[in-house]
Amino acid sequence: MTAAGLAPVDLAAPDHAARRPAAGRAAGRRAALPASGRRARHRAPAGLVPLAALAVAFLALPLVAVAVRTPWGALAEELAAPGVLAALRLSLVCSLGALALSFFLGLPLAWVLARVPFRGRRIVRALVILPMVLPPVVGGVALLLAYGRQGIVGHLLEQALGITLPFTTAGVIVAEAFVGMPFFVVTVEAGLRAMDGRYEEAAASLGAGRWTTFRRVTLPLLAPSLGAGAALCWARALGEFGATITFAGNLPGSTQTMPLAVYLALQTDTTTAVALSAVMLAISLTVLVVLRDRWFRLP
Amino acid sequence: MTRAAVSTADPSAKQGLRARVVLRRGTLDLSVDIDARAGEVVGLLGPNAAGKTTFLRALAGLTPIMAGHVVLDGAVLEDPAVGVRTAPEERSVGLMFQDYRLFPHLTVLDNVAFGLRARGVKRSPARQSAMEWLAKVGMADAAGVRPRALSGGQAQRVALARALVLRPRLLLLDEPLAAIDGSARADLRRDLHRHLSWFDGTCLLVTHDPLEAVTLADRLVVLEDGHVTQSGSAEEIGAHPRTRYVADLVGVNLFRGRSAGTTIMLPGGETIVAADERYHHGEVFAAIHPRVVSLFREAPEGSPRNVWPGAVEVLDAIGDRVRVQVHGPMPLLVEVTPAAVASLALDEGGEVWAAVKAAEVVVYPA
Repeated sequence: MTAAGLAPVDLAAPDHAARRPAAGRAAGRRAALPASGRRARHRAPAGLVPLAALAVAFLALPLVAVAVRTPWGALAEELAAPGVLAALRLSLVCSLGALALSFFLGLPLAWVLARVPFRGRRIVRALVILPMVLPPVVGGVALLLAYGRQGIVGHLLEQALGITLPFTTAGVIVAEAFVGMPFFVVTVEAGLRAMDGRYEEAAASLGAGRWTTFRRVTLPLLAPSLGAGAALCWARALGEFGATITFAGNLPGSTQTMPLAVYLALQTDTTTAVALSAVMLAISLTVLVVLRDRWFRLP
Repeated sequence: MTRAAVSTADPSAKQGLRARVVLRRGTLDLSVDIDARAGEVVGLLGPNAAGKTTFLRALAGLTPIMAGHVVLDGAVLEDPAVGVRTAPEERSVGLMFQDYRLFPHLTVLDNVAFGLRARGVKRSPARQSAMEWLAKVGMADAAGVRPRALSGGQAQRVALARALVLRPRLLLLDEPLAAIDGSARADLRRDLHRHLSWFDGTCLLVTHDPLEAVTLADRLVVLEDGHVTQSGSAEEIGAHPRTRYVADLVGVNLFRGRSAGTTIMLPGGETIVAADERYHHGEVFAAIHPRVVSLFREAPEGSPRNVWPGAVEVLDAIGDRVRVQVHGPMPLLVEVTPAAVASLALDEGGEVWAAVKAAEVVVYPA
């Protein structure tokens, strides 16, 4: 097997989005140690520090490699290639569509999970979290079985409403929302739990009905969680590979998103693949910077 | 009065609060009856976890009641027996939480205007009214800041304005000064008293500070372990405490026993002799004020009818008096002058005799 044959596994693995925050956290903790003076009080057992350094190198080196190998001079030219812009636009449209869907359905779900006690709540929560740990390809297969043309719901959708999801742009949105929504729900639910209803009670005692309270108190106070959940969900949707290619295929212009384009480019033109990867990496870094306060303020 | 008469808003219906709240929450078994006229300030006094806050929450509609009723100005707000339960936002009840709960994302002005806006008042008149109330509580200058920037006392004033701007018929204040430290407390208490004197609705004020209760409330209700143990004016309660909690609060020695003639038999076998013969049989309380107890190094002879041995446990200077805790078969709190402490050479652990004249023992039925 050639080096080019091995590389795609590293670069295009769909779990790269999940690895990114871990790298960020490790870097943040390392920076915090000398500053807080903890080093003097908690002396690390011998051998721990070198291993930690090795872990940082292990996580950071591939990202450095992308930066080093990016054809900076030819970047604009590489990105101007016809298929690339289409993939980029499709990625943005679909990831934002998935985010909108997650917001629309995920916010009520998070509210119910956080505020409404009911039998089987733990089971529902486990089901919601499942896509986070499910291999995305399996998710794609599951989506096909449910919403595919012969799927248990899909054939009804097609017969009754004429809606076809698999191998369409809408299908990409569905696949990305399936994988990204749990991040949104989990984050927003945690935010709602942390609010514990004190201010909602105050609003009620001041004559605000449920809807006014939700709009004027709950939502504004939830804004940080909504932002964090939206960023996580969107980043996950943007990097979605496995479920998308399984459920929606790889059709340039209608279902070929950036991760798929990167993978495809790597088969033929490594430079393009690296350039596209650099763009994705930049986007991920931006999300990380925006959310740094939330993720780096560790207890 | 029948329920039908109540719900048809009989104009002669008593203005004020008629509440019987029965509910269970965790280990708390709450069963409280309170009636209060409009314009009256009732102080709810009680130890921690007595159910004071829960009672206020029930009146505000935040905690449902299991039985009883809440009737405000003749209108039934809640009565499980007939399935009536008005939502908290539809009650003309203002609740000031102990931690104030000002909305952190709104300015002080918008916090005060919030209730009016929620009730459909347009933005600009709502802000105008809010501004007027902020001026009344002396917080107009802070209208544009966020609650985070306020001190405890300032937050309290804003929270009060936020509750009063809605002109509630029932105002519930949950330990309004508990979060304020010493120096600002007296000012805030005086201002609160001024605002409450304007207020024409019914006011319930929860506190565990007797000074606050006496200065702010017209009448006191003592709540212990979910039940009313005593109610009345501060003078009545202070003169005739009926529980250990109230006795400690007003600083008197309280004993309960069986009266036989002028002798009161305590459960431990000790006796107290009283001059008062009105309650010559049955269960009685005997209250002994710390100032009427005399201390001696030797057993005194002659006039006092009550003489008990004991040991000095704690000495405490309170103003120009010294508080002495005497430990023994009859534990007593005693107040003497510093001169007496010196002449008796009192020290902690030293043996003393405590004497009380029969005429100084206050006896009342249990």
